[in-house]
Amino acid sequence: MKFISNICSSLWPELSGELKGRETQWSIDSSIRYPLLGMIKPAAFWFVVSLIFGLIASIKLHSPGFLGSCEWLTYGKVEPVFWNSLIYGWLFNAGLACAFWLLARLGGAPIGNGFLLTVSLSIWNVALVVGLIGILMGGTLPLNWRESLTVSGQLPYEWLEMPPFIAPILLASFIGMGLWGLLTFRERVHRASYASQWYVLAALFAFAWIYTAAQIMLIREPSQGSLQYLVGSWYANNLLMIVIVPLALACVYYLLPKALGTPIVGYNHSGRAFWSWFIFASCAGSAELINGPIPAWVTAVGIIAAFGILYPLTVFGIQFLSTLFANFTRIWDTLSLRFVLFGCIGFIVFGAYYIYGSLRSTQEVAQFSSFSNGVQLLGLLGFASMIFSGFLYFILSRLLNKELPSAALAEIHFWMQLSGVLLLVSSLITGGLQEGELMNGSTVSVLSIVVNLKSYYVMASLGMFLMLLGAIAFLVSFTLFMFSTRSEKEETGTLIGESPELEASVS
Amino acid sequence: MNRGPFIFVGLFIVLAFSWANLVNRPIQQSGQLSAIYDDSERKPRIAPGAADQGKLVYQQMGCVSCHTQQTRLTVGSDIDRAWGIRQSVARDYVGQYPALIGDRRIGPDLSNVGAKELDSEWHHLHFYNSQITSAGSNMPSYSFLYDVRPVIGQPSDRALDLPEGYEVDPGYEVVPTRRAEALVAYMLSLKVDYDLPEAPSPEKIGL
Repeated sequence: MKFISNICSSLWPELSGELKGRETQWSIDSSIRYPLLGMIKPAAFWFVVSLIFGLIASIKLHSPGFLGSCEWLTYGKVEPVFWNSLIYGWLFNAGLACAFWLLARLGGAPIGNGFLLTVSLSIWNVALVVGLIGILMGGTLPLNWRESLTVSGQLPYEWLEMPPFIAPILLASFIGMGLWGLLTFRERVHRASYASQWYVLAALFAFAWIYTAAQIMLIREPSQGSLQYLVGSWYANNLLMIVIVPLALACVYYLLPKALGTPIVGYNHSGRAFWSWFIFASCAGSAELINGPIPAWVTAVGIIAAFGILYPLTVFGIQFLSTLFANFTRIWDTLSLRFVLFGCIGFIVFGAYYIYGSLRSTQEVAQFSSFSNGVQLLGLLGFASMIFSGFLYFILSRLLNKELPSAALAEIHFWMQLSGVLLLVSSLITGGLQEGELMNGSTVSVLSIVVNLKSYYVMASLGMFLMLLGAIAFLVSFTLFMFSTRSEKEETGTLIGESPELEASVS
Repeated sequence: MNRGPFIFVGLFIVLAFSWANLVNRPIQQSGQLSAIYDDSERKPRIAPGAADQGKLVYQQMGCVSCHTQQTRLTVGSDIDRAWGIRQSVARDYVGQYPALIGDRRIGPDLSNVGAKELDSEWHHLHFYNSQITSAGSNMPSYSFLYDVRPVIGQPSDRALDLPEGYEVDPGYEVVPTRRAEALVAYMLSLKVDYDLPEAPSPEKIGL
């Protein structure tokens, strides 16, 4: 078979089914440009929107009078809008855009079914707008069209606060996007698959699974009383650990060899790291339910599983950091790699805090405090958001065949996001530990605890504000990218050199 | 690892394991509890209708962002803070949908707030402006649940008795809306002051 195809390709070069090098990449990029920009646009929008809500919520903690007379913007509504728009708006759109781009690139052929992707992602974003307005309206149903769907009031489950009627629409549009990913993977030219592709496929499959399970067990056939708490936390943990983190890991696995031109150090451990991550991370979330009204063995399983994460975390740490530090001199000059470097460090610290937070002795102090929110935000903003930002800069110049319009804006984005995350997460984690010590370890009145924590709340607001500036810089940068006219160099298409062919050969 | 189906089957098994063990098994084990009756009293109690309306307001305002409804016995200081008299157990939440258990405490736990010596007037003032009853608190004001209206004829007997520094213009009064009344009824209905055979309490474990 190979013999025949070799003869064919030497006689009729185009019959080999592949264009060569940059030309192939260019044809892939142009085939996916329209749907992908359709995801990056809402991503940039949601990034700014979520941080505006995050800033409002954060300010309300130390100045409760801020926008206090507005029923739509009371703390209990603004806070879930922040989390939901951050996750389903910014991280999903940006993460899936990166993931789909690398699926297309690693597939090695121009994509088909772009229509399916465009329609699905449009529905996703419209449904998200409706869902978030639903939270701001108090979760009451504007469409009371079927008795069984009539659940009013905001749902009290973490990251599932949107009105129930929006869930089937979100799920259907996600399945549309997931199917597109699956079809693109199936139609790949390179038969060998690379770690990035495993993580993307896994994340797509995992979200469809956990979202369906959570919707059925919380809304259609709700489980009894206290067990809703268990189902809700199982969903939230898995959304973070086996949907968003894998999407970001896929980007790291792709970007490091591509941008550095060297393979990932210790790549042959990737398979074991992949499976152990999914096995342990999918069970680890129940650790923080300790001493709650659920069976005690469930939290014990969670603690054990959290310690299992040590193995994949070590592998990721060695792979990513060794690859990065072996080429350290080149990191600082490449904007995308700088994002990835700090994202990877953020990931290792996140993993360490996650395991530390699952310990009984930590939970005795930190339970119900801002500690776990701090750790979640470290994973979401310090890791995933950093990686996606860097990756978006990497793909935007390839997708549009334009140079970065303003290096200064990108620098602002980088420094603001980095310093904002550091400030926000450190204030939530250290403030959370202090809060927990006072709340759980003493009988000091809650009012004096609030006074005591004020400096941490102010610090968190400052962190949110810096992040917001970074997000605005990204939005402006992206707008300039879209509207700037091409220079001569960009017109002739010699802007991007050929990238190293690592993706299929290292595995 | 080069084949899609291998990844999918593998992941299906991994996720099914996580779901079956950490979600489904606890539900099989303890998801079929029912209320118990002794001394002709139902445990847990059934809240009055007005409290159900109030629970809806509690949900709409997202109170669960800052208030839990679960107390712990062996760790923390929930009992010393008089937030509860014993460990919360699964049976306390039988029949609650959605159960507003919560996992973040910026303010106090509310599972037993109805048993405290706080009357509806205190709660109304607290919701209208938390600074009146708890100076320095960072709880938002829910003044939009109250009508400020001109006094016509006899002042309303439901009007809030606002202390000095918080009064409205003369000739006006602050009256709770139905939603505020319902929310206060819900607060007063939150009482876990009964004993359950399986629930650990300080007396039972000798603390």
